[in-house]
Amino acid sequence: MLELTWLIPALPLAGFVVLMVLGRRLGEPLAGWLATAAVGGSFVASAVVFVGMLGRHGEERAFSQVLFEWVPAGGFSVDVGFLADPLSVTMCLFITGIATLIHLYAIGYMHGDRDFSKFFVYLNLFVFSMLMLVLGDNLLVTFLGWEGVGACSYFLISFWHTSDANASAGKKAFVTNRVGDWGYMVAMFLTFTALGSIRYVDIQAGAGGLATTTATAITLLLLVGAAGKSAQLPLFVWLPDAMAGPTPVSALIHAATMVTSGVYLLTRMNPVIAVGSDWVPTVIAVVGAATALFAATVAVAQTDIKKVLAYSTISQLGYMFLAVGSGAYVAAIFHMVTHAFFKALLFLGSGSVIHGLGDEQDMRRMGALRKLLPVTSATFIVGWLAIAGVPPFSGFWSKDEILLYAWDLSPALWAVGFVTAILTAFYMSRQVFLTFFGEARWDRPLAEAAPDLARERGVPAGSADGEAEGRPDGDEAASPTVVNVYESGHLPHGVGPLGPIQPHESSWTMTLPLVVLAVLAVAGGALQLPFTSGTKRLEHWLEPVVAPGEHHLAVATGTKWALAAVAVVGGLVGIAAAVALYLRRRRAEQPAEPALLARGWYYDSGLAAFAGGPGRIAFDTLAWFDRTVVDGAVNGVAWLVRGTGGGLRRTQSGFVRAYAGFVAFGAVVVVAVMVFRGVVL
Amino acid sequence: MMALLAELQSIETPGVAWAALSPFLVLVGGATLLLGAGGLLPRRTKVGWPALWTVATALAAIVAAVLLWRDLPESGTRTVVRGAYAVDGFSLFLIVVICVGLIIGALLTDGYLRREDLEGPEPSILFLVSAAGGVIMASAADLIVLFLGLEILSIAAYVLAGLHRRRMRSGEAALKYFVLGGFSSAFFLYGIALVYGATGTTNMVGIAEFLATNRLTDEGLLLAGVGLMLVGFGFKVAAAPFHAWTPDVYQGAPSPVVAFMASSVKVAGFAGMLRVIVVTFSTHRLDWQPVVYGLAVASLVVGAVLAVVQTDVKRMMAYSSINHAGFVLVAVAAASTDGISAALFYLATYTLLVGGTFGVVTVLGRKGDGHHSLEDYRGLARREPLLAAALVVFLLAQAGTPLTSGFLAKFYAVSAIVEAGSFWLGLVAMLTAVVSAFLYLRIILSMYGGPDDGEEAGPPAVPARRIRVPLAAKVTIALALMATVGIGVVPDPLTRTARDATPDLVAEDPAPSP
Amino acid sequence: MSAVLAATEGAHATFPLLTTLVVLPAAGALVVGLLSKRRPELCRTVALLVSVLTGALTIATLVAFEAGGAEFQMVEQYSWIRDLGISWHLGVDGISLFLLVMTGVLFPIAIIGAPAPHDEKPFLAWLLLLEAGCLGVFLALDLFVFFVMFEIVLVPMYFLISGWGYAERRYASMKFFLYTMFGSAFMLVGLIATAVLHGRATGQVTFDLVTIASQQGEIATTTARWLFLAFAIAFAIKVPLFPLHTWLPDAHTQAPTAGSVILAGVMLKLGTYGFLRFGLYLFPEASAWFAPAMVTLGTVGVIYGAVVATMQKDLKRLVAYSSVAHLGFIVLGTFSLTTQGLEGSVLQMVNHGISTGALFLLVGMISDRRHTREIAALKGLQKVAPVFAGVFTVVMMSSLGLPGLNGFVGEFLILLGSFTSARWWSVVAAAGVILAALYLLWAYQRTFHGEPDPDNEGFREISLREGLVMAPLLGLIVFLGVYPKPVLERIEPSITALVAHVEGNSDFREPAVDKTGPAARSDVYAEAESQGEGHGGAGTEGEGEAPATDGGAHDEEGGG
Repeated sequence: MLELTWLIPALPLAGFVVLMVLGRRLGEPLAGWLATAAVGGSFVASAVVFVGMLGRHGEERAFSQVLFEWVPAGGFSVDVGFLADPLSVTMCLFITGIATLIHLYAIGYMHGDRDFSKFFVYLNLFVFSMLMLVLGDNLLVTFLGWEGVGACSYFLISFWHTSDANASAGKKAFVTNRVGDWGYMVAMFLTFTALGSIRYVDIQAGAGGLATTTATAITLLLLVGAAGKSAQLPLFVWLPDAMAGPTPVSALIHAATMVTSGVYLLTRMNPVIAVGSDWVPTVIAVVGAATALFAATVAVAQTDIKKVLAYSTISQLGYMFLAVGSGAYVAAIFHMVTHAFFKALLFLGSGSVIHGLGDEQDMRRMGALRKLLPVTSATFIVGWLAIAGVPPFSGFWSKDEILLYAWDLSPALWAVGFVTAILTAFYMSRQVFLTFFGEARWDRPLAEAAPDLARERGVPAGSADGEAEGRPDGDEAASPTVVNVYESGHLPHGVGPLGPIQPHESSWTMTLPLVVLAVLAVAGGALQLPFTSGTKRLEHWLEPVVAPGEHHLAVATGTKWALAAVAVVGGLVGIAAAVALYLRRRRAEQPAEPALLARGWYYDSGLAAFAGGPGRIAFDTLAWFDRTVVDGAVNGVAWLVRGTGGGLRRTQSGFVRAYAGFVAFGAVVVVAVMVFRGVVL
Repeated sequence: MMALLAELQSIETPGVAWAALSPFLVLVGGATLLLGAGGLLPRRTKVGWPALWTVATALAAIVAAVLLWRDLPESGTRTVVRGAYAVDGFSLFLIVVICVGLIIGALLTDGYLRREDLEGPEPSILFLVSAAGGVIMASAADLIVLFLGLEILSIAAYVLAGLHRRRMRSGEAALKYFVLGGFSSAFFLYGIALVYGATGTTNMVGIAEFLATNRLTDEGLLLAGVGLMLVGFGFKVAAAPFHAWTPDVYQGAPSPVVAFMASSVKVAGFAGMLRVIVVTFSTHRLDWQPVVYGLAVASLVVGAVLAVVQTDVKRMMAYSSINHAGFVLVAVAAASTDGISAALFYLATYTLLVGGTFGVVTVLGRKGDGHHSLEDYRGLARREPLLAAALVVFLLAQAGTPLTSGFLAKFYAVSAIVEAGSFWLGLVAMLTAVVSAFLYLRIILSMYGGPDDGEEAGPPAVPARRIRVPLAAKVTIALALMATVGIGVVPDPLTRTARDATPDLVAEDPAPSP
Repeated sequence: MSAVLAATEGAHATFPLLTTLVVLPAAGALVVGLLSKRRPELCRTVALLVSVLTGALTIATLVAFEAGGAEFQMVEQYSWIRDLGISWHLGVDGISLFLLVMTGVLFPIAIIGAPAPHDEKPFLAWLLLLEAGCLGVFLALDLFVFFVMFEIVLVPMYFLISGWGYAERRYASMKFFLYTMFGSAFMLVGLIATAVLHGRATGQVTFDLVTIASQQGEIATTTARWLFLAFAIAFAIKVPLFPLHTWLPDAHTQAPTAGSVILAGVMLKLGTYGFLRFGLYLFPEASAWFAPAMVTLGTVGVIYGAVVATMQKDLKRLVAYSSVAHLGFIVLGTFSLTTQGLEGSVLQMVNHGISTGALFLLVGMISDRRHTREIAALKGLQKVAPVFAGVFTVVMMSSLGLPGLNGFVGEFLILLGSFTSARWWSVVAAAGVILAALYLLWAYQRTFHGEPDPDNEGFREISLREGLVMAPLLGLIVFLGVYPKPVLERIEPSITALVAHVEGNSDFREPAVDKTGPAARSDVYAEAESQGEGHGGAGTEGEGEAPATDGGAHDEEGGG
């Protein structure tokens, strides 16, 4: 049954090829269904492989399948080969599973888009790349997927390519990722020079023999790569902008799958990390913790429903890095899976809300949608409880385990994680209240309902009459423009109509995935329950892969319970605070949303300022240098020759006497030289 | 002449001597006959008899030379007329080259004269006489005889330069050429005198033997003489700093005459230089080599750099000829068998090359021989595709593009000097070639620039009237073209001949001179 | 050597394929030149026929070439200038093979894809002559023949640029010709000196590359270094290597599309190929001695070219500067002197030819439609011409080295190889990959994204002819990215032999990598066939000896 491994990526690839060839002819919704089928098939394949693997025990649960030799060169050789082991199969399962649901969702969400089929072409290509990433049996194939998902994310973010915001967001994502890829590549080279191979099998085998410094270097370089892909400090800047893309993309790529590949990579390379200096894991943990806290603070002040989720994602990824750093690989994967469930759920939910509100994305225009979007709101609330860490929802278990390991590494890190947990509970509650509870802010024209938002969008207060003209097909990615967006002929994406809105629940293709994911978000915790060793299924399952790096807890059971209790209390505190601030009080006077946070500590804008200022100047200077100095030297030589020619030309006076003078002079010189030599030598 | 004939009576077996002198005699005879018949012929004729006669004579001379060449193996290299006149591969090779130059000159002149209505036999006669002088220079084994040859060559050339009676510039050119030529001949003659004073003979073989056997206590006299002779030769081959006359004369003199001057006259000059400097004074190589180096570098640089700022094609060609002279001097500076054969190869190919080039230039000059500015050449590719194409080939060959004779000529010259151990001179030569390539490309660009944006507006400088190309010119250009490309692709035969022609009396030592 | 001579004997008997490769296009040029210019369609047919036939012959060479051989194959040798030991000596090995094929493929594509705006006849004639010259360079095994071919290609390109180029063509063509000729001047002297000195040492003068290269040590070490330098200047200009690159942007920008395609696709490779053949092979010791300097220049080129490209306002100029960066990679790989680096370089030459050729074709199509290459004047083309944009995207991705497309494999091998021998340079050069993404995506965004303004509304979608022209290139881009093995395994023997040649004649040693991998690999292979046993076993036998790198090298030494 394991021989079917190749089928897992093959099916999405097939879907991609077919759709690319005759996607337009298939049209809507057939193209969508085909794509969904392809991914669904690959989910089935993964399941089959999974079952097959269950049939074996521990040590034998690694199957490598080589399709063909890819890059043979001298002593270096790499195959296009797959490594099916507990880790990769786990990844495949939840990737293909969630991807199938999101494909299904997208059929409804992308309804009526002029590039409907193209969207699914990209989506299938993405799934294929993602599966190559996790299934590759060596760093290079993983890198193939790694860059592939990057490219797909670029295509999908800038899917609505006519709007500049999307375009630059896509470019930003790709370039920032490339910075990380640099680290990845160098790490690969280093691994090869150190081990003579970049196959995971060989790495696992040879890691023990690595010099500490080498292992350290490899780890840090990989961390750079992972930070790029998983949007950690300092490379997270692309993810918030990436929200400009269609919501299914945000859910699939920028929440559930791609962004977690950094965590996957570090887990995969845990044998190397284990060999490196012991301060290296701490570095990873610190990066994670810092990112988690930073992003959480920013999420508190966002008004765009997707931006909140974006920063929340960054924050949750920070948790996973914290876990990796504290040697809790299982916990990391565990949280990755649960997070995939509830974050995908939340994104799709928000998407359904946006869809229902005529493409309105700002929470200041929402509220009291509970009744009108029953399924959406119900499922969204489940997601909320899960991420807020309320037992027994899945988020609680995974987050709790991470915090536990963090405590074991250093209480300080635990503290950071704990504060983040409180903030998480807070801003998620805030989102839920603003969206589904409180007073409705969509039944009236924009100017009345949300004056400040109207101001941001350049609508003069009072002019409440305008009707939204035509379907929006641009997107300003919630970057409010001073010019009246409603007066530009078409509405950008994420901007709802000016007048009153009639919210409506979405079609079943969109709500079904919500329900399924909600169930998973509730039950996901069952994968790994800390009570008895019997209930730690995931741990046993992943044991063969993470054994070298896995840290073994030395925490008393009492402490465990205490920490868990504290965490729960923290979560409740956060929720309570949100209730107090956003449910009870009328939110006229912006509570607890300083501009500093709303603007994300000005990190991104500062970066942009630097790139646009000094950076650009430096580049221009070099270009100038090339034009004037380097090329100038060349032209200078030509000029010099010309000049000399012009100078000597004057000697051609045309007077015979002058010419005779030359001859005589020359004669004197010649004779002088000869005689002189003759006399002296 | 009389003196020479006087000599002849006193020789037991004049037959040999006559045979040995045959190329020279043919030319002189041809000239005399034409001189006689010229008066009888009507000035304007359908067929250019004088030109035809000249060509015939030249061919006859070539045949004679070839015959002598064929029985060189048994008769061996020898000097006749009391060792005043050498018959060896070297001289015969150059005689052929000179005659080729003569043919080209004559053929081009014919059409030229008709266009400028200057018909008449005189030019042909002068060409023949001048060539005869060249032949003497090539074969002279005695400095006095050499000087005679030089004068015969030059005086005829002076007159030729002034051929175009109605053009002021032509006359001016003739005058300049004459005055300066006389000036430099004086140096040359004085050089001979000094050498005679130092060695007691004017016979080159004698001198060589004398220097080989004796050691002079004070070489100043000898070296001064050699230096002065170098000046004389330098003037004739238009080597810097004795080049000043070249641009003016080339620009002023009738184009076909320029072709002759650039080919045969140069060849004769180098013939003398090689025989006198390289062969006769091979013992004093270390003394004259630096001077030749200097002349070479000066010519290369001046020829290349000054050409860059010119706008008159004939003037450009003048400078490029200086640059080419520099290349030949590079070969001379090598002072080795390879050097000499490289020089011979260069001269042979250059004669054809420059002949072809000036063939086209002559035709393009139009009536009055005045249209030689770059402007006149603009867009020529459209009006005269064939002429333009031919000119392109010649120019590229002069620039030293592979698969043309020009490239191999440069290649051999540089290999010779490199083999002689001075890489830097070779490098300088090639770099100046790059600079002078600029001017060839400039001409090509003005012909081929394609439809020019901006300059499109104004009408072409010259009325787009088709140019009538006389048959003779057509033939010349075609032959030169074939030769240029042919030698470029299959250089072996000419290379061999040049090598065989090289006199064996050069002091051979492969060791590089420091 | 004996092998070569034996082959020579054979060559006279068999059909002189390689000579035909050079002569056929030249003859074609002559024929086209003789045709009447009033019948352009006839000229086009003939030219196309000839170029396609030549392409087919290169393919035939590829087929006839038997993989695994390190020495030159299908050698042909006829005496040309006997006195100087100059002979018409042609041969092909793993290094030149795919450059031949690339040339053979690119020319027909250029002829179909980028027809002349006017005067088709001379245009086509020049192109064919150019093809003959380029093929000659890749085939030449005689210093003289090489130089002749290396020089002769200037003429057609000069006429193509000056005759059919854009506004600045006069300046550009002149600069191109003189700049390159300047380098050639050094090469010619160096080349003659090489032959002369070798001749003086051995007693008989020859210009035969194989003879001179195989008799190392006849020329004094320091002298050889000077000679290498003479050659290097010429090649560095041709490549072009920073800081000798400034002729390239002008030439590329001003040349007609076909000219740019050939210039970037084929002619730049003359330089890099020269480094391989007349640098490493002819002067192994000097190459190793100069390697640090060359690697530095290559790396500088990578970063410098990328940065300057980012700031260009002219699309064509941008692509031109991107070539500077890519060629920097190739030089880096070449002078890393490692098997991976060299194989990567050779592969990258082919890749760059395909990708950049395609890019120039596309840019040409854009400027044909819009009569401008100003990035600022273009906007939102993706909306009006999605397919065109798609094609452009694929080519762009291959050019910025996306795994799965051809550009990546070469770049990766180059960086991998140079990492083993010139670690820090490779680390720096790897950053060039980031910049590549920056300038290409930025240009793409400004050109294709956004709402098309009125000028660009009417932008025509890719036509069938254009599609057919691009199709083979796209095919190659994907194929070489997914399955480069057939190419690499033909390149490898020659490269390993070359590395051994360098090691044998200098104190350079290719850094060997740790042995864990190969041993474990074989171990895992066995397991992979038999139902993937656990990887524990791999660990135990992981420490086994038998380095595959050195092992491979030894094999090749035996073979070559």
